[in-house]
Order: sequence, then structure tokens, then C-alpha cells
Amino acid sequence: MPTLLRTERMVARSLAETADPRDALAGALRAIGESLGWRFGAVWEPAVDRPEALRCVESWHADGIGAREFEATSRRTLLAAGEGVPGRVWSSGEPAWIPDVLADDNFPRAPAARRAGLRAAFCFPVRSAEGLLGVIEFFTGEARAPDAELLATMAALGDQIGQAVERRRDAEALRAKEARHRAMLAAALDCVVTMDHEGRVVDFNPAAERCFGYRASDVAGRDMAELIIPPLLRQRHRRGLARYLETKEAAVLDRRIEITGMRADGTLFPLELTITRVDIPGPATFAGYLRDITERKAAEAELRASRARIVEAADAARRQLERDLHDGAQQRLVELALDLRMARARLDGDPEQARELLDAALEDLAAATRELRELAHGIHPAALTEGGLRPALEALVARAHVPIRLVAVPQARFSAAVEATAYFSVAEGLTNAARHGGARHVEVEAAEGGDRLRVEVRDDGRGGANAAAGSGLRGLADRLAALDGDLEVISPPGGGTVLRAEIPCGS
Amino acid sequence: MGRIAGTDDLGVPVRVLIVDDNPGFRLRARRCLEAGAYEVVAEAADGASALEAARRHRPAVVLLDIKLPDTSGPSVAEWLAREPAPPAVVLTSTHDGADFGGRLLRCGARGFIPKAELSSERLSALLA
Repeated sequence: MPTLLRTERMVARSLAETADPRDALAGALRAIGESLGWRFGAVWEPAVDRPEALRCVESWHADGIGAREFEATSRRTLLAAGEGVPGRVWSSGEPAWIPDVLADDNFPRAPAARRAGLRAAFCFPVRSAEGLLGVIEFFTGEARAPDAELLATMAALGDQIGQAVERRRDAEALRAKEARHRAMLAAALDCVVTMDHEGRVVDFNPAAERCFGYRASDVAGRDMAELIIPPLLRQRHRRGLARYLETKEAAVLDRRIEITGMRADGTLFPLELTITRVDIPGPATFAGYLRDITERKAAEAELRASRARIVEAADAARRQLERDLHDGAQQRLVELALDLRMARARLDGDPEQARELLDAALEDLAAATRELRELAHGIHPAALTEGGLRPALEALVARAHVPIRLVAVPQARFSAAVEATAYFSVAEGLTNAARHGGARHVEVEAAEGGDRLRVEVRDDGRGGANAAAGSGLRGLADRLAALDGDLEVISPPGGGTVLRAEIPCGS
Repeated sequence: MGRIAGTDDLGVPVRVLIVDDNPGFRLRARRCLEAGAYEVVAEAADGASALEAARRHRPAVVLLDIKLPDTSGPSVAEWLAREPAPPAVVLTSTHDGADFGGRLLRCGARGFIPKAELSSERLSALLA
């Protein structure tokens, strides 16, 4: 077989054997060198860090020749356009033949070539549809006159090699892009589900697997609506998809919507969703970004419920206040007025009865005064406004019917809301201890630390208090939540009760 | 000579039923009405016993608290208005009459006296 034909076949075979662009170049280099029986070959490309210069990126040499030094020199050398053999071919875009590089005045590597015994050289461009990728040079051990046929064959091989390398580089870039895409999908906190124009699942990322309870491998190609959309909503989904494909008018694309999703076990849950059309040619593909908002919905509902309870508690407190006033002090004052009027009527005719009526009136007045004082104290203790937590708690403890030890209370003043909340936490704890807990000893402690005021009421009563059940404790929990505080009630049956409130009190 | 408070045209004491759940108020109301020569024929602490007492004692006047444990004064007034020969109903309350709006008139009551202002003169003025 003629040498050049053999060279073409060997290059073609070597290119077919690899998918890696670098290996393709190395293989082509070896195929050409070995089939032609030349001694050294190299590939030059624009340097990554200096695109205006060429760098040797790949080299080959025949076995048993002293080309190592020349190879090393080539690898170190940067050639400008027009410089040396590769620079000339890069500039002209045409193959070149140098009968003897030692006689050439544009060959910077001449000393190394002399020591390696390299003389004749040819060089040809490696070209793809994108343009010039680089050049390939070969050297042999003796001076040789130009071989036009060989050069023409090499020019054709240069195009073939360039196209092969380009295709492999494109494929490699695509693979890298896909790998990045997969990594993003895998790491995403949101569920990402893509579907084709027929509504079949294409991608199902790990977040979607966790959320919906399916394995990606089990759902690929299946009807997405059947998998994650509740039966009642499927028709709407299918109609929406059909309408979009027909009219290109989208009701839901690129908008944040909240809908109900369905897990593999059939349970329904709220989710938020954005659907975009993936911008690729061909039939429509859609990507859905979904997030389970069960917890957010629950938190929102709890916030609304807590606000409603705070309003209800305020209304209930006002109603109670009206009842207390009506049944208590107001009643006393009415009786007082009637007694006084009666006494005045009897002043002349029956002074003795007038005196009795006046005595009764004084008692009514004292009772009314006492009731008003109690009531005012229950609404907001004056000691708290005037002196802060310590005198208010001391007064509260003094009025209690069970023995209470005030362990510690800070002297410092806090904001009115913090002081009132701390005070009512203690009051609620004491009410619980006395009324429901049957406690014999109670300890009250308040301490400030880390921008929080901690208040604790400990009793030795029956325990078994439930923070969620009693309206008093629930109201207190709401009040603390409104201040970003926390309420903890530890109350094992028979083990006493610890009520612990923490209130942020920093500026 | 004009007739004195608490008597009718013939000088006979006007019969009164006092309806209030607070015994302290009932005692004082009785005392001040009887001082004006009204005759308190019965007391009742809630709506049901008020209706029963009204049927039994046939009072000419019922002094009726607006707030009762089992019902409201105006409701009792409406029941009483449907009785044969219904008594004159005078509502009373710790609150001001204005607190109750038009309900006081619609229920057929003769009028309203705040508890603290109750006297036989005030009652007679309302009944005249």
C-alpha cells in the first residue's frame, strides 16, 4: 500500500478510537509519525494564558532517538505568529516545507535541533469549521527536498483532525455542562421536576424524590399529573397544558403560584410552584420548581390564631372588668346612694334609724373602695409602674395565700411590656400553684442574662398542668410569643410545677 | 288635697313587685318604696319567678332589673304585657338608661329609673 494512503487510514483509525480531544491529537501525531517513518512531531496551539503566542501542547518521537532535549525545548518555547516553523504556518494558514531547519534563519530551536540531529521539517494547519485550531510539525533526521504530494495529503489530514478534535471538544463541553446541571439539580433545596410536551416526567431531582416519596428512576417517562397532582386538580392541569400547546398563551408560566401537591402515599400538602418553559428547540419542555410550604403555612396559621387569641383575650378581659365593676363596686355605690337618701328622709322623724342607715352607708363605701382597689391592682399593679418588678413582686407575694420565697429579683427597670409580662407570668404561676396545684411551698425567681429576662415559679403541688389546655397559660404563651419570648411549663403528675418564662429584654 | 305618693285615686297603696337578683338592692328598694306608702307585695330574684309572682299577687307596678340571671328585664316586660290586666313595668339598672337604646320603650315598659336614683317620688312621677 502506498505510504500516504496508509497514513490516511492510520490517522482515521486512531481518530475513531477515542472520544477525548487530547487523545485524538496524540493518536493522530503517532499515526503520522510512525507511518511516514519521521522522527519527531508536535502540536502547537495558542497558549491559554497568552492567546497571541503558540505553545507546544502535544509531542511524539520515534523510539530510540535522542529527542528528549528537543522535546523539552519545544515544550518550553513560546512562538509568536510568524516565528519559527509553527508561527509561519499559523500566520499564513498554509502548509510549509523546510528542507533543512539548520539552514533556516527563522528557527529559534536550531541549537536543540542540531543536537537532536533533526534537519528537514514540514508543518500544516489543523482547521475546523470554527477556524484555525493549531498547527502540527514533523522533523526527520536528514535534509530533504519538498514533497508536494505529502504536503497536500497533510493539509487534508489537518482538516480531518481539526474537525475530529472540534467535535470531541464540543461533546466534552456538553458533558461538563450536563455534569454542572446535574450537580445543581442534585444540590438544589427546591424540588425540580421537568416534563415534556406530553406531560411526562423527564427530570426528578433528589429534593423532589425526598418531598414526593418517589425514586427518579421510577418516575422517568411517567405522566407527571398522575404522580404529584391530586386527582381533583389533574383535569385543570391537563387543560392548561393543552391550551398552552395550542395557543402559546400560558396562565401559569413564570409566576409564583400556590397549589396542593400529592405524595406517593397519597397525602396532600401545600406547595409553591414556578413553571418555566425550557428554552430549547423542538417540542416544549417545562421545568417546575416546587417547594413544600407545609411548615410555613402552619406557622402562618399559628400566627393568625395567636393574634386572634390575643384580641379575644383582651375582649374577655374587658368583659370581665365590666362584670367585676357591675357586680362589685357599682352595686355597693347604688346601695350607698339608696341608704343615704333614706337616711336623709329619716333625719328628722327617726334619727335612730338615720344613724343605722348612715353606718350601713359607711360600710358600703368601705367595701366599694376595697373592691375598686383590688380591681385596679388586677388590671395593672401600681407598684409595677412606679417601682418596677421587685416591689411589684414583693407586693404580689405578700398578698398570696401560700408561703412564697422570693429567691431573687433584679433591681433594674425594663420596658413596660417586659415588666408587665414578667409580672403576669409570676401571677399566673402563683394562681396555678394555689388554685389548681394545691402547692404548700412556692419559689419565685427572676434573673437577667444574655439580653433575656428569665422568670421562674416553682411549686411542690400536684403538677399535671397543661400549657395548651388552660386559657390562662395559653394567654400567657401568646403574650410571650408576641414579645419573641418563650414559655415552658414542666409539670409531671405528682411532681410539682415549674413555670419558666423567657423574655428578650435587650435594646 | 292631691293624692300622696304610692296611693291610687282612692288612697289605697299601690301594689309593687320588685324583681332583682341582688338581695341588698331588693331590701333597700322595698324600704324606700314603703316609706312612700307603696305596698311591696312580693320580691323575685329572676324572670321565671317574677312572672309567677305577678300572676299570684297581681301587682299594679313591677320594678324590674334589666339584667337577670335567667333572662333580661325587657323580655320579662314583654311577657307581662301579654298578661290580662298587665302591670305597669318600670325598668331599673346600675347602668344609665341610655346604655340600652330603644329596647326599653319597645318592650312596653312605662319607663326607666337608674338604681341609684330610685325613690317613691321618682316612681310616682313616672306613673302619673
